[in-house]
Parts: sequence; structure tokens; C-alpha cells
Amino acid sequence: MKPGLRTLAPYLGLAAAYLLFSLLAPAAFHGAYNLKTILTQSVIVGIGALGMTFVIISGGIDLSVGSLIACATVLLARALNLGHEPLPGWLPWAALAAATGCGAIGGVLNGFITARFRLAAFIVTLGTMQIYRGGAKWLAAEQTVTAPATWLNGLMEVDAGPRWLWIAPGVWLLLALTAAVAVVLRYTVFGRHVYALGSNEAAARLCGVPVALRRIQIYALGGAFAGIAGAMQFANLTLGDPTAAEGMELDIVAAVVIGGGSLRGGEGRAAGSLIGALLMAVLRNGCNMAGIPNYLQNIVVGAIIIGAVGLDRLGARGSRA
Amino acid sequence: MLMTKALTKAVAATILFLGAAGAAVAGEAVAPGGTAAKTRPVVAVIPKGTTHEFWKTVHAGAMKAGSEEGADIIWQGPAKEDDRKGQIEVVQNFTSRGLDAIVLAPLDETALARPVEAAVKRGIPVVIIDSDLKSKAFSSFVATDNFAAGTLAAQHMAEALAAKGGPASGRAAEPVGNVLVMRYLEGSASNSNRENGFLEGLKKFAPKAVVVSSNQYAGVTAESALKTAQNLLNKYPDIAGIFTPNGPTAFGMLRALQIAGRSKQVKLIGFDATEPLLAAMKTGEVAGLVVQDPFRMGYLGVKTALAAKRGEKVEARLDTGARFIWAAEVDLPDVQALVHPDLKKWLGN
Repeated sequence: MKPGLRTLAPYLGLAAAYLLFSLLAPAAFHGAYNLKTILTQSVIVGIGALGMTFVIISGGIDLSVGSLIACATVLLARALNLGHEPLPGWLPWAALAAATGCGAIGGVLNGFITARFRLAAFIVTLGTMQIYRGGAKWLAAEQTVTAPATWLNGLMEVDAGPRWLWIAPGVWLLLALTAAVAVVLRYTVFGRHVYALGSNEAAARLCGVPVALRRIQIYALGGAFAGIAGAMQFANLTLGDPTAAEGMELDIVAAVVIGGGSLRGGEGRAAGSLIGALLMAVLRNGCNMAGIPNYLQNIVVGAIIIGAVGLDRLGARGSRA
Repeated sequence: MLMTKALTKAVAATILFLGAAGAAVAGEAVAPGGTAAKTRPVVAVIPKGTTHEFWKTVHAGAMKAGSEEGADIIWQGPAKEDDRKGQIEVVQNFTSRGLDAIVLAPLDETALARPVEAAVKRGIPVVIIDSDLKSKAFSSFVATDNFAAGTLAAQHMAEALAAKGGPASGRAAEPVGNVLVMRYLEGSASNSNRENGFLEGLKKFAPKAVVVSSNQYAGVTAESALKTAQNLLNKYPDIAGIFTPNGPTAFGMLRALQIAGRSKQVKLIGFDATEPLLAAMKTGEVAGLVVQDPFRMGYLGVKTALAAKRGEKVEARLDTGARFIWAAEVDLPDVQALVHPDLKKWLGN
């Protein structure tokens, strides 16, 4: 990882956006409650982006994560409906595991098709995006699935249930997962293989990296993170929604790219992806606060995505010179 | 894997071009939010979306109430329509900003309950308009009685079917024939109440009519409604009457009927007075419309929210009423006043 402006770019972008809206939006923008709101709103895209970081570093892409998130919300709601009142204590945990597992299985399928048949990940996941979306609608019998109230509903409360938590449990989870992904990428053999795959697949193969297996594992991880993001989406909506997260895959890819990930593979950082997700949450929140109309919001968010990546490239050129 | 790289570049380009045109416009994005005088109350009105005409009329009504009460109105929908998470975030962001009141048309009766409760907990009264919310926290529900409005549509559908089958049956008009209901969206309370009100009403007013399909959902856009409508029309060649529960579904169905050349054979009853539907009333392609009063919804929503903020007692449920309009009545002055409220006066363009 090359130091310098390149690594700093997402942080600078986030700081710039925060400063800009400090001028445009009312004073409440700085408030602790609003800070907590922004953090909570970046959880779903953030967790999805952590999984996507593995995929993008390895030179792939996963367009099916939005649909996997929807699948996970529905499956979680369905699982909770299996119990009878009073719900057994293990049921929410089992439902959480089911959501994560459902994402992982979807990811395994993505990885298997991509690796086994040597197909472009873009096309494979474009297809599975539709398949998983259909699966979510089928699982949900084409309507939203309500679920009995459990502690899961509290995971995304802006004002966390126990005061000492200060922020939503979902935010803590996001931070913990970011740290875990950073460690895995930097200090494990698996992490080094992910970078090797994305930098030069042929060389990696010659060096004895089990390419196909790693690909499947990488997509499975990406899917599992989408499953966890789906559980957070469920907590946010308190219901299973087969139309949830439509188009969110692009927000997730954008978060990784803003954070320094390269779609050519070989580059990307966990912390960067987290910052990318935060930046987009700050933009939406700031635009709402400042009362900027929707069409301008879309334009501003788009312009900042380009700006962030442009800054990144500028930094790349600078460090080479 | 060369293919992958070319394609990933294409994705990169797509993502990067999301808003390329806008950098110049973005400079004008300075809104006066921070400079609003402290004495004027600020009310946020959050629609389900911002592009439908229905919501523009709600906006106009809200502006009128704002000017009468000396309050500032902030109009802000979810960034993507039909995006529950997006609307939750808008509610959260306004809660965090600390306004005087929120008027909300919830996209989902369950998903928006918690954010609304969080707003109320922070001392911001919330008035719900248009669609109900499964919560007890909000101050008032200001909307059309959608079930009654659906029943109203069924009553007139019976009349239309009777007129159609009249001479053939020999005796005084009995409403018969195949009827189709194309639903709107899974989980939309206002629309499913209309659909169910219609189905219940039809049992009462036209017991001999046959409902051939009532389980297909059109989706949010006119485009998706058109596709669903075409598929339904292909499946059922013999249809006498169709009910659709809102503007986009009615328009999608109308276009499907026009494309199939069946628009003059089928009695289409729609909901909400959008321009294309009003135009089709004049050509007889739409038999009738149930018209709500969105202007009054926005107006009463803001009025009630401000009253709740002042600590006054407000009604828990306010019906803003619905009216049925036959195609022949569309040019009547009182109908025109309802379907063409003076938006320019309130929205300024």
C-alpha cells in the first residue's frame, strides 16, 4: 500500500464534504445526535462494502449484493415467524445465522460459476442479481413479510437502547468488522492471495495460489457480508422486504471505489471502504439538512463520486513522479 | 479474464458518469436552511416521491397552509422513489435537525413506524398523510378514506357494467361481465385499501360480475404497470371492466388498452386526476375516475401539525374526502377546480 495523497484522498473527501455542509446546513448538522444518525445510516452500505472490498481487490465485481440483501431480510423475517410466542432466545440468533448463510451460499454460487466456467464476473452477477431478486420475491410470496418484535429491531436505533453503547449496535458491528477485514487483508495468507489474484492472476497461479478455490471463498465472503448487511436492513425496516436495496450494489461499489479500491484489481482497503460509505451518508444527510431538492442531491452525489476518484488518480500520478 | 477487465472498466465509467453534467449546477445548491429566522416555525413535509403530480398538489396545499400560518415549509422526498430506507433516512435527518413538526406520507406502514417514534420522542409532533402507519405515536392521520373510495369506484363500476349490458339482457340493466383489478404495490396500505374496498363493493353492487384477476401487482412506475397490464389483457380477451388503484397503474392500463386497440370496449375506472387520464376521459377511453383532494391533504396536514406543535388537541383521524367523476363531467367548473388547483400560485412556476 503506497502512502501519500492516494491513501488520504477518501479522508480528505469526507472532511471536505463535512466542512461544506457545516456551512450550508443548519447548526444541528454538527450535533452529536446527527453524527450518530449519519453513522447509523452508513452501516448497511458499509458492511456490504467490506465484503465488496475483497471481491474488488481480487479483480472481480459482485452486482448481486443488493438482491442478496433483500433475500437476507426476507429469510430473516420468515425464520422469526417460525417460532411461537414467547419466542425462544436462540431464534433471533438462528435467524441472523440464516441471513448470513443465505448471503454466503449466494456468494458461493457466484464464485463457482465465475471460477469454474471462466465467465466474466460482471455478467455472472448481473444474472444472479435477477435470480436472487426473484428468489427474494418468491420467498416473500411477493409481499413484505412482517415479523414478531425481537432485540434485532434495536440494532439500528439511532439512540441505542443501553445508554453506555452511545451509538447503534449496528455501528459497533460495522467498526469491528472493518478492523477484522483490515487484519485479514494485511496479515493473513488468504489476504495476500486476494491482492495477488487481483494484481496478476497468472503469476498468482504459477506461485501456487489455489485460484479457483480462492475466488469461491472471496465471493462467499462478499455474500456473507451482504447477508449481515441484510440483517441490518431488516433491523432498519423491521420487516422483510423483497424490493429492499434495489440499486444498492452501485452505492456499495461506489463506496469501495471512493475508498481507494480499483476496479482493475489489486488495490483497496477496508478502512477506505468504510470512509467511502460514510462519505455517501454525509452527502445524503447534508443535502436533506440543507433542504437541497432531490434532483440536485443526485447530481451532487454523482459529482462527488467522480471528484473523489479523480483526486485519487491525481494522487497516483503525483506519487509516481 | 481480459473480458472482465474491459467490462469492469465499463462499470467504472457507468458509475463515474452518474452525475457528470451536474458540477456546475451544484454550485447553486446553497439553500437558506441555516439562515431561517428563529421565530418562524419550520415544518418538513415528506412525500412518497417528488415526481408525481399528486405530490405536487400536496405540496401546493402545504405551501398555502404555511403562508397562512407564517411557517416555512421544507419539501423533501426520498432520493429514490419507492425506497423505504431512503425515506427512513429523510425522517431521521429531519429529526436530527430538530424541526417544529413533520408531515409524512409513509411509503410503508411498518418500516416508517420506528423513525416516526424516534421523532416524537425528541419532541417533534408527526402528522401522517395519505397512507396509514402502524404506530400510536403520531398526532393525527389526515387522508382519504381509501376503503370507502374503493367502494365508491365499485358502485360506479356496477352502473357502467349495467349500462353496457343493458339492451342485450332485455330487462333493466343488471351489472354483469368480467372485471379485472390490477393492484399497485406489495405493502402499500392506501392502495390495498382501495383495491379491497373495490372488491367488497363489487360483491354488493354487482354480485353477478366475475372478478377474473385481482392478485397481480403493477409496480411503481407507469412502465412496469404497462407491462403487467399487457400481460393481463393478453391472458383475458373478454374483459368488461377494469379498476386500477392510482395514477400510474391507471395510465399503464390505459396505454395497454390503447396498444391492444381495446380502449373503447372496456370500462376503465381509475384513481387520481392526472393529465393523461383527464385527456383520456375526453376521448371516452377512461370511463370514470375517483378523485381525491391532495391539495386539502397537504393543507390540513400542515395545519394539524402546527396545531399539535402548539399543544392544541387535534382529531386523530381527518377524512379529506373522495369524489367520483364520470367522463362526461370532466369540464364542469367544480370538477376543474378540484383537478386543476392553482399550483402556480403556491409553487411559483
